Amino acid sequence: MSVTRYFSSVFVIAELELRKIRHDQSQIWLRVVQPALWLTVFGVTFSAIRSIPTGDYTYLQFMTPGILAQSVIFVAVFYGVVVVWERDMGLLNKLLSTPTPQSAIVMGKALAAGVRGLFQAAAIVVLALIMRVDLILTPFSVLGVFLIILLCGMCFSSMSIALASVLRNRERMMGIGQAIMMPLFFASNAIYPLSIMPGWLRVIAVGNPLSYVVDATRSLLVTGNLSSLGIDMLVICLTTAILVSLASLGFRKILS
Amino acid sequence: MAEAVVVENLVKVYPAVTAVDGISFTIPEREIFGLLGPNGAGKTTTIRILLTLIKPTSGKVSVLGVDALSYPEKVRQLAGYVPQDVSVDGEITGYENILIYTKLYGMPGDVRKKRIKEVLEYLGLQDRADSMVNTFSGGMMRRLELAQSLVHRPRMLFLDEPSIGLDPNARSAIWDLVKKLRDEFGTTILITTHDMGEADSLCDRIGIMDRGKLAIIGKPSELKCTVGGDILSINSKAPNLPAVVKELGYSTIAGSSNGTVDLLCTNGEVVIPRLLEDLRAKGVETASVSLKKPTLDDVFLKYTGARIGEGERGTFKQARRARRTFRRLTR
Repeated sequence: MSVTRYFSSVFVIAELELRKIRHDQSQIWLRVVQPALWLTVFGVTFSAIRSIPTGDYTYLQFMTPGILAQSVIFVAVFYGVVVVWERDMGLLNKLLSTPTPQSAIVMGKALAAGVRGLFQAAAIVVLALIMRVDLILTPFSVLGVFLIILLCGMCFSSMSIALASVLRNRERMMGIGQAIMMPLFFASNAIYPLSIMPGWLRVIAVGNPLSYVVDATRSLLVTGNLSSLGIDMLVICLTTAILVSLASLGFRKILS
Repeated sequence: MAEAVVVENLVKVYPAVTAVDGISFTIPEREIFGLLGPNGAGKTTTIRILLTLIKPTSGKVSVLGVDALSYPEKVRQLAGYVPQDVSVDGEITGYENILIYTKLYGMPGDVRKKRIKEVLEYLGLQDRADSMVNTFSGGMMRRLELAQSLVHRPRMLFLDEPSIGLDPNARSAIWDLVKKLRDEFGTTILITTHDMGEADSLCDRIGIMDRGKLAIIGKPSELKCTVGGDILSINSKAPNLPAVVKELGYSTIAGSSNGTVDLLCTNGEVVIPRLLEDLRAKGVETASVSLKKPTLDDVFLKYTGARIGEGERGTFKQARRARRTFRRLTR
């Protein structure tokens, strides 16, 4: 299969997802509710308490990138449930009977999760602006954040798809999703800086890919200090590549 | 005539079971071939191997002259598949469901629209093309699935239990479509079914599968001949009925249940009066006699030692599952 045909298959799989969103936009708005509440309830309260040291920036400025990332991983971590559901419905068997390679299906699905994340991220940025959170919005920072959000969605959704090929049913996927969600979010720099964590937790947070997503987003949107952006992007791209490959390799197992 | 499918010594072993146990068969082009058997006989596994969805443990498979093990993508480009489960997407329109597949089959942009229009008209879905699929009936979803798998004009079509969960009208509509496809386009069609009526009215040849093996292959009419003629079922309250019938020199067949004896004969309608006289002479009162011309059910009984109905609970479960999926989609 030619490279063009391969990537056009990837985009077609993602297109399928976009078409679903177009027919029912309410699913996007509903997904925005929770992160919006994090900003308006948790964020506003903790800004008032001033208990978390965030340096020269307000707490809302500090946490907005974290909430952006969170809204994406909430969709992505449970993406395996969607794939198992599609297996149960017979959609996957039919997709695999076309010439589309399984890795293209996985990548397309992951891309779709990333695209869903983009819509939500855009909604949250708008909300943050309405709340008068001071963000750096240049074409470079906006494009950069879009790319990071897309990769973040791909990264965690392929992790979820890889898990689906091991666990293979919806109930277990819901369970593992919830089990992963909490440490993924709280053992990261999403809503507080690494510096206030005890040493052992900091080690975990440094190994958490989400920390790099948040750090990169934060440096683009809030601090403007791009010194660590390179290493962040490297870690994000590498993790995504590894997880997409793992998910592709195991994909056929979901069927049996 | 060229062979569309050649299968040699195909084996698929799973950790717990041997799903396919050394089967060989060929299907010539333009044939409607039915794989028949109870659930768990290995029909779906065979189809999935032919479609390169699963790798066989051993054996050779070629589809339309292409070695399926070496060139799976080529086979998938040439074949169309309608799986047993409902495989349309309820959250997009009928048109979009087909559009996605034209793209996955690499159809150039300028022919897509025309082909989709053609296939929608062919399956009588043109009026509902822009409706969301979750408003479709079960029969319409099946037709849409057929449209999806026909839009790239496959030369070989695989249908896994095409009429499961459908009402009789929708079912005969699907049968007509399948025949029309073969007659108009020369498509080779492999269907699996547990429905003897479906196999009899639709297939040129059938293969009966049982526990991973092919028990027999042939034309439905030939297979019915191998059963050996008509079957007379005699029902009587007399406890010595089986003994008496045997004593009279008739050949009874296995599988008779209490109070009933099945026996094999040629020209059953001529035998009945004579048999009744013979039985009365022996003092056996007959409650009823029925004559049955052989059906594929009997063929199945002969070659597998069980009525296909004995696996019926499983098929009921499948039908229920299919209906549940229709409902879920239309929620």
